[in-house]
Amino acid sequence: MTVSDTSRLVLDEPYARPILVDGARDLASITDRVCGVVERPTPPRAWYVAITITSCLTLMLFAMVGYLIATGVGVWGNNSPAFWGWDIVNFVFWVGIAHAGTLISAILFLLRQKWRTSINRAAEAMTLFAVCCAGLYPAVHVGRVWVAYWLFPVPNQMQMWPNFRSPLLWDVFAVSTYATVSLLFWYMGLLPDLATLRDRATSGLKRGLYGFFALGWCGSARHWQRFERAYLILAALATPLVLSVHSVVSFDFAVSQVPGWHTTIFPPYFVAGAIFSGFGMVVTTMVPARELFGLKELITLRHLENMNKVILATGSIVGLAYATEFFIAWYGGNPYERFVFLNRALGPYWWAYWLMIFCNVVAPQFLWIKKIRTNLLFMFVISIFVNIGMWLERFVIVVTSLTRDYIPSSWGYFKPTAVDVCTFVGTIGLFLTLFLLFCRFLPMVAIAEVKTILPAAHGHGAHGKHGGEGRPGREVSHG
Amino acid sequence: MSAPHTESAPRQGDQVLGPRAGRWATPALAVGVLGLAAALGLGWQRGDGFSRLQHSWLVACAFFLTLSLGGLFFVIIQHLTRAGWSVVVRRVAELVAANTAVVALLFAPLVLGVLLSNDGLYPWADAERVHGNPLLSAKAAFLDPRFFAARCIVYFAVWWLLGRWLLARSTEQDRVSGPEPTLALERRSAPAMAAFALSLNFAGFDLIMSVNPTWYSTIFGVYIFGGSVMSFFAAAVLALRFLQSRGFLTREVSVEHYHDLGKFLFAFVFFWGYIAFSQFMLIWYADLPEETFWFKTRMEGPWAAVSWVLLFGHFVLPFLGLLSRHAKRRLALLTLWAVWLLAMHAVDLFWLVMPSAETSGVLVSPMDLASFAAVGGFWIFSLLRLARGRSLLPVGDPRLPQSLAFENF
Amino acid sequence: MAERATNTGAGELHALLAEFDDVDAVSGAARALRDAGYRRFEVYSPFPIHGIERSMGLSPTRLPWIALGAGLTGTSLALFFQWWTNAVDYPFKISGKPLFGIPANIPVTFEFTVLLASFGAFFGMLILNRLPEHHRPVFENPRFRRATDDGFFLAVEVDDPRFDPRATRALLEQHTRRPLEECRDSGQTRELPGSVRAALVSVAALGLLPLAGVVWARSQDSSRPPIHVVNDMDSQPRYRAQAANPVFSDGRAMRSDALGTQAFGELPRPGTITTGKQGDAWTESFPVPVTPAFLARGRERFAIYCTPCHGQSGYGDGLVALRAAELQEQNWVQPSSLHDPLVRARPVGQLFDTVVNGVRTMPAYGRQIPREDAWAVVAYVRALQRSQNAAQADVPPTERAKLGAQ
Repeated sequence: MTVSDTSRLVLDEPYARPILVDGARDLASITDRVCGVVERPTPPRAWYVAITITSCLTLMLFAMVGYLIATGVGVWGNNSPAFWGWDIVNFVFWVGIAHAGTLISAILFLLRQKWRTSINRAAEAMTLFAVCCAGLYPAVHVGRVWVAYWLFPVPNQMQMWPNFRSPLLWDVFAVSTYATVSLLFWYMGLLPDLATLRDRATSGLKRGLYGFFALGWCGSARHWQRFERAYLILAALATPLVLSVHSVVSFDFAVSQVPGWHTTIFPPYFVAGAIFSGFGMVVTTMVPARELFGLKELITLRHLENMNKVILATGSIVGLAYATEFFIAWYGGNPYERFVFLNRALGPYWWAYWLMIFCNVVAPQFLWIKKIRTNLLFMFVISIFVNIGMWLERFVIVVTSLTRDYIPSSWGYFKPTAVDVCTFVGTIGLFLTLFLLFCRFLPMVAIAEVKTILPAAHGHGAHGKHGGEGRPGREVSHG
Repeated sequence: MSAPHTESAPRQGDQVLGPRAGRWATPALAVGVLGLAAALGLGWQRGDGFSRLQHSWLVACAFFLTLSLGGLFFVIIQHLTRAGWSVVVRRVAELVAANTAVVALLFAPLVLGVLLSNDGLYPWADAERVHGNPLLSAKAAFLDPRFFAARCIVYFAVWWLLGRWLLARSTEQDRVSGPEPTLALERRSAPAMAAFALSLNFAGFDLIMSVNPTWYSTIFGVYIFGGSVMSFFAAAVLALRFLQSRGFLTREVSVEHYHDLGKFLFAFVFFWGYIAFSQFMLIWYADLPEETFWFKTRMEGPWAAVSWVLLFGHFVLPFLGLLSRHAKRRLALLTLWAVWLLAMHAVDLFWLVMPSAETSGVLVSPMDLASFAAVGGFWIFSLLRLARGRSLLPVGDPRLPQSLAFENF
Repeated sequence: MAERATNTGAGELHALLAEFDDVDAVSGAARALRDAGYRRFEVYSPFPIHGIERSMGLSPTRLPWIALGAGLTGTSLALFFQWWTNAVDYPFKISGKPLFGIPANIPVTFEFTVLLASFGAFFGMLILNRLPEHHRPVFENPRFRRATDDGFFLAVEVDDPRFDPRATRALLEQHTRRPLEECRDSGQTRELPGSVRAALVSVAALGLLPLAGVVWARSQDSSRPPIHVVNDMDSQPRYRAQAANPVFSDGRAMRSDALGTQAFGELPRPGTITTGKQGDAWTESFPVPVTPAFLARGRERFAIYCTPCHGQSGYGDGLVALRAAELQEQNWVQPSSLHDPLVRARPVGQLFDTVVNGVRTMPAYGRQIPREDAWAVVAYVRALQRSQNAAQADVPPTERAKLGAQ
């Protein structure tokens, strides 16, 4: 649970680049450790317990979705004036979660933050699973799911085309592009590791399956050269993409004239919030996962601490955005805007607002204290707060504005139905089920990438010159 | 651990401007004084109670202020992330970041004008005008001359203190052998960043957005931030090229460092474009008259051309031009883009401020050039005074060897 | 999938395989081979070795250009497609936005650019690397499995013009202490086995079947009703207009208003204004004063209620009529031209009655158009008739002079 004293010394020593993994420091032991999780004949008992619970929840999700399709969207609590309810709240919540993966894989890669290598694979997988959960909502909320293909520009018998000027269609393109590019990025990173599993496989079936998906990867220098270039290009493309996705989601709200929705800071503020919530979820899942699968030496406390720093930073940005929004609502002088913001804090949803402020703005501030941000229990609790807070943020934005619009006669109070609640709980089940399956059957840590940060990856040519840790020129800006 | 950094560190004497700073400072001071005289003369001649001059002066002050603020951001984030690559270019950034006191002095007359109820620049400074306008009186509690002056003092105090503290600790590291100053910088950089973000965000509203007091945009502070950081990277490239052409930092700063600066320049060109598009598109789409009027004045008449120049000059062309790895590593090309983008940053600030003073006809006045010369001259003079006795390289920085050996992949 | 039989030494010599202890050794060997002029050799490692491409003398990859090309294709495709669908093929105005306004079309353009550029990078990488690859002779060496774990390998192919069994071996042995191995080509082809290929082709062919079915169905004319997998709202438990309903004594599903029903906001007013008659005859004069404002009102109502069938100028060429003519609807009755001499000869009272109560297939508008407005429509119809049948004498003398001058 604690990093050994010697490594702590190395970590905080500005004269040398820190060594990012503990214990396993040679190539073969990294392979063994990561592949061991996949290769062990039976997973830990806790895994069985967890997946039993989560698959029950997933089944509940399927039941709810089936009920919704058979009956109609009336089974949800959406009704005048709140035509958007938990469906859009949950959609934005899950899309937000999906942002950490690409941030870790792409942006931190471009910024040469090497500590990302231990966590990027799992975070990217979470991105995909969160996008699955998010994509479910727009697909089923159309009511007649069998015509959901109308969202895409497919030639059809009505001789109509979708309206490309609508932010809802931008959403379709943004989320589907994001899902596709994330999948490619994740799969490409998996290729060398699948080849490793293939070459270690003991049974023909495993070798066949891993071999099929490894596409015949052999680790030749020519392959690596193009692989690295493709990785860099995908990272460079994914960086603006990740900005665009949550910006487009924010456009759904901000292009409208609804008070509390139409404000220009929404795009960057949503992106910051998405990263915040995504890192919250990564900490929530990685803290137990690294215990469960014995990966504490690869996913060290230092990694978790760095993530907590990102949570603190993005949480503070979100707080600043709240303050700016509140201030400009007053400064703009528009009485409707002023009312909506006062109503958020003092109206019928005051509890959601203040809980959100506590979870998103106050709770992360505890991470200023090193003792707290390196304590597993505290960071786990705070990350749970972050998850709750970011869900509430979307709830506050969607519901408070819709239930108090321009005409007081149409004001209302949104109440979710049992189907709403069960569907949301079900998506959590789906997310965790997919994550547990991923942990069991695929390498949770990017084996080849972690190897590149070991001293062995840099040869001995430059060894010993600068504090004994390889070629320092490549080891840059570690946070 | 021993201090291996002493091995390859260059001798300190190589990297101090010394008397040469004085030789360059004198013409800068002369330009400043002449610019000031010309600006005042032209402003007097105009006979509009210095209203037009105040606008020019604000643009010029904002331009050099944003350079410093961009530098401040850069220095803080380097400490925050414990970056190694940037050590060789960091002192230049620290000097730029610490150079805010001169802007505070130059900006003071505008604040004084506000306190004296001169509404030539900030229409809300005149109590009678505010009283007659319900939109203005609604926010009179905030746009109050004395409160405004107090906020300005706080902003400049925060920036000045941050800049001086970062510079002082960093130069202290040049002299001492242990890593304590660096560790202190790392520890305090997080709260420093918080102070920076808060002050920049609200200063954007106060100094520039309130020139149009009925208009508002929540993203405005972020917009100013994007332009500031971009302009800083452009200025850093130019400053390093200048110093290298005079024989400083020639062995230390390599094409690898320029490549990284170029990457950040490119990234912030994109970031600026993203923020500018977000602001424009949301207002264009929602089409609310209380917001669109600000863009309408900038998209019709003579200002339309300036808007197009910004779209292409500040975003499309540099984006395409800096996309390639080769463009960032070919120094002549990178320098060209740096000059171009600095000019575009000036156009950007001009476009933000000036439409409230110039609604038709000729947009640029000799006053603008004179104000630029004045503020620029004094700013460079003060920068050289700061730099004179200090090493241009953080010779004692524990990560200097990493920065010297830095290589892009 | 790579099949790995142990290297039995059978088959032709393919390459000389050397294993190295670390990155430096393998890079050194690669440099030595490069300097000796070798080209057909390959380094295998479990992770990318920094700078190995320079050590081997590889040229930079074309991948960025492929990604750039794909991205630009995405940009132009997205812009063209949005313009064509929303501004040309299916134009409709919505929320006051231009049919093709760049700000609203940027998000989709951006996403599509990124999507295609990513495809370019990913699939370009696969294609340039010739992946998926079924087999390589080096896979047949059991030691080679460690190339994805912790082994660093270098294979010099015998096809290299510089290859010399003894000299090459000596060169490699300078850089590694481990024994070299001969990598033989057992004749396993790099191509996919025939069975796998057949399976892939048949899956692809089967995948095309549904599409072919759709194309076939869409190209057929059929008089049968479409198959409804899901009924949506196509069949609902309700009576259609004009259908029969045995519940009512008159057998009609549509019910008429109860006797004495009045339109909202209008009280019954006896006399000409309601009936259009003076005594038993149609009135020839208007029961309300005709003013320019009244005519303007009539014109506006006419545009709303009458133009769909009768057309802007009243010739019976409204959009509905044109559409019906285009479709050659058999039951369609061409709307009358208001300039037909018969219609022009009718008294205003009768025109009023036509508006209010309908005639032949023209429905009654009395429930939609208040009486005053119906008179305004009639007044406008009269004006329209006059304008379309004007003589030169109708033009005021001053204007007539101008006409002559032209």
